[in-house]
Amino acid sequence: MDLETVMERAGPREFGPGDELPEKYRKAATRMIQFHANSEVMGGYLDKTFTRKAPSLDRKLANTAKVQDEIGHAQLLYRAAETLDVKTRAEMLDELATGEGKFLNCFHYPVDSWYEAPMIDFFVDGGAMRRQATLKSTSWTPYAHAMDKVCFEEGFHVKHGESILRELMNGSKATQERMQETFDVWWPRILQFFGPTNDESVHDDFAQAVGLKTATNDELRTSFLNMYIPKAEKYGLEIPEYPRIYERDDGTMAVREDDLDWKEFWTISRNEYEGSTEQIGSRRRRQDAVEWVRESLETWESSAGPTPQTAD
Amino acid sequence: MSETPRPDTIDRRELSAEQQAAVEELLFRLADDEFVHAERLTEWQIYAPTLESDLAIANIAQDEFGHARLWYDLLKQLGYTEPECIWERDPTEWTHSLLVERPFDAGDWGDAVLRGYLYDVAERIRLEAVADTSYAPLADRVGKALEEEAYHREHATNWLERLTADDDGQARMQDALDDLFPAALSLFDPGPREDDIVAFGFRTESLAAMRTEWLETIGPSLEALGLAVPDPDEVAQSNGRGRYGTHTDAWHDLYDEVTATYREVDFETPVELRATEE
Repeated sequence: MDLETVMERAGPREFGPGDELPEKYRKAATRMIQFHANSEVMGGYLDKTFTRKAPSLDRKLANTAKVQDEIGHAQLLYRAAETLDVKTRAEMLDELATGEGKFLNCFHYPVDSWYEAPMIDFFVDGGAMRRQATLKSTSWTPYAHAMDKVCFEEGFHVKHGESILRELMNGSKATQERMQETFDVWWPRILQFFGPTNDESVHDDFAQAVGLKTATNDELRTSFLNMYIPKAEKYGLEIPEYPRIYERDDGTMAVREDDLDWKEFWTISRNEYEGSTEQIGSRRRRQDAVEWVRESLETWESSAGPTPQTAD
Repeated sequence: MSETPRPDTIDRRELSAEQQAAVEELLFRLADDEFVHAERLTEWQIYAPTLESDLAIANIAQDEFGHARLWYDLLKQLGYTEPECIWERDPTEWTHSLLVERPFDAGDWGDAVLRGYLYDVAERIRLEAVADTSYAPLADRVGKALEEEAYHREHATNWLERLTADDDGQARMQDALDDLFPAALSLFDPGPREDDIVAFGFRTESLAAMRTEWLETIGPSLEALGLAVPDPDEVAQSNGRGRYGTHTDAWHDLYDEVTATYREVDFETPVELRATEE
């Protein structure tokens, strides 16, 4: 199939492993799904912090289950990416460890308090939900299938995050103030979650032309703001004055780009932010430390008799 | 679940003061071990050697937290609150074994696997020893936990086979065993009410008998994998430390981390999600 045909046919769940697709499509799809899978792992890395900090046994259980779900999503997504025959899972996990693999901006910031749990679990996951819902109609069918399961489970995660926010905003005045301070810090990062405005995005045009992406950054940001500003206000959070948010003539929402720190955003997107180095590095060191286990597994599998067993 | 308890069982309203103290000791030992073991296991999430093993260890940790909740719930029926069981309880009063409070060294997956094995065998033995408990509310809850523990042992055994398949792995596992064994023996350290626990029939085996069964189970299995099990009479008995008020510094650090948010944020009660989430 040539690119022209791909663009002509592009639609929800249009292509699958049975189709012969041009390299440009397969590479673009791999980049997108790999980014998504990496983000699940690095989001899990942050969420793990909250398991230990959870202030009730039930919250702790919900949190450890959430981290497990995220690793499960990563597993599904790497598999969906592998079906494109561009990279193996091992290669993608290696790239994440070496700092070559990219992931969502919000997961480059360190977390160290329970007040940050709703930032990740409600607002960031809520934003991710907006994006993931549209990806159920992506043109690469294995990716769309993965989204069915991911979206189902993310629904629970967002409720979990919302419940923590509600609880904290029902706390003492000091607790509410601390929550607001945390929100003020995270809000601009969450707005940047949707990337720069359409005309500045590098990969969007092609990804949209071939149906990999079905909504623009602007559409997703608008959809998020319409849904989450009222929710934030309902729980008593004040939306910071800056970055300024305004309604365009066509009714969509926009953020004044100049009010956001794009230098930091692009530093993050190159994995060069302080938190990027710290979080990628500490995960890599821990993964290097268990390299011996993976080697033992290989030895065991290759010596396990005449019919070697597969990795899973 | 059995609707009608055995005629010779004791319901919670019929407990004498002495009986209640013994039941509480038994339940705290069960619950604390599960809670602290699970808390340590979650340290492996994101850091496990493969995505598959990450998912598996997370499953086990959740099962163990779930079991802890079962046993703490029984303590709640006896009038305790969750803060009294966990969040506001003095760390020196926790009665878990030394095995489960040990921190993991980075990369020591062998510790995770072997600790799981030593723990899960002990867990099976002690759950079986309360399957015929005279304390009716406990009897109802043992079955589910036992089923899950069978899966945990299978997980641990599969990993033990793989990790001891080459010389390097075997040397690592031997080191882990030498390190963990004395701490694992503290699983069977008796508490002040041990005699009452057995006399009232809350547990149908003594800790001494359970310890023997545990040694007779793990010994041949580990030796079949080429590991040398230390002589229990020769290892210093947990360096004189044990379940009762003599925890290691690692426990106090862990306790501080676990309770930090609870202490910092002034919630009226720890939130319970069961009605909405299950």
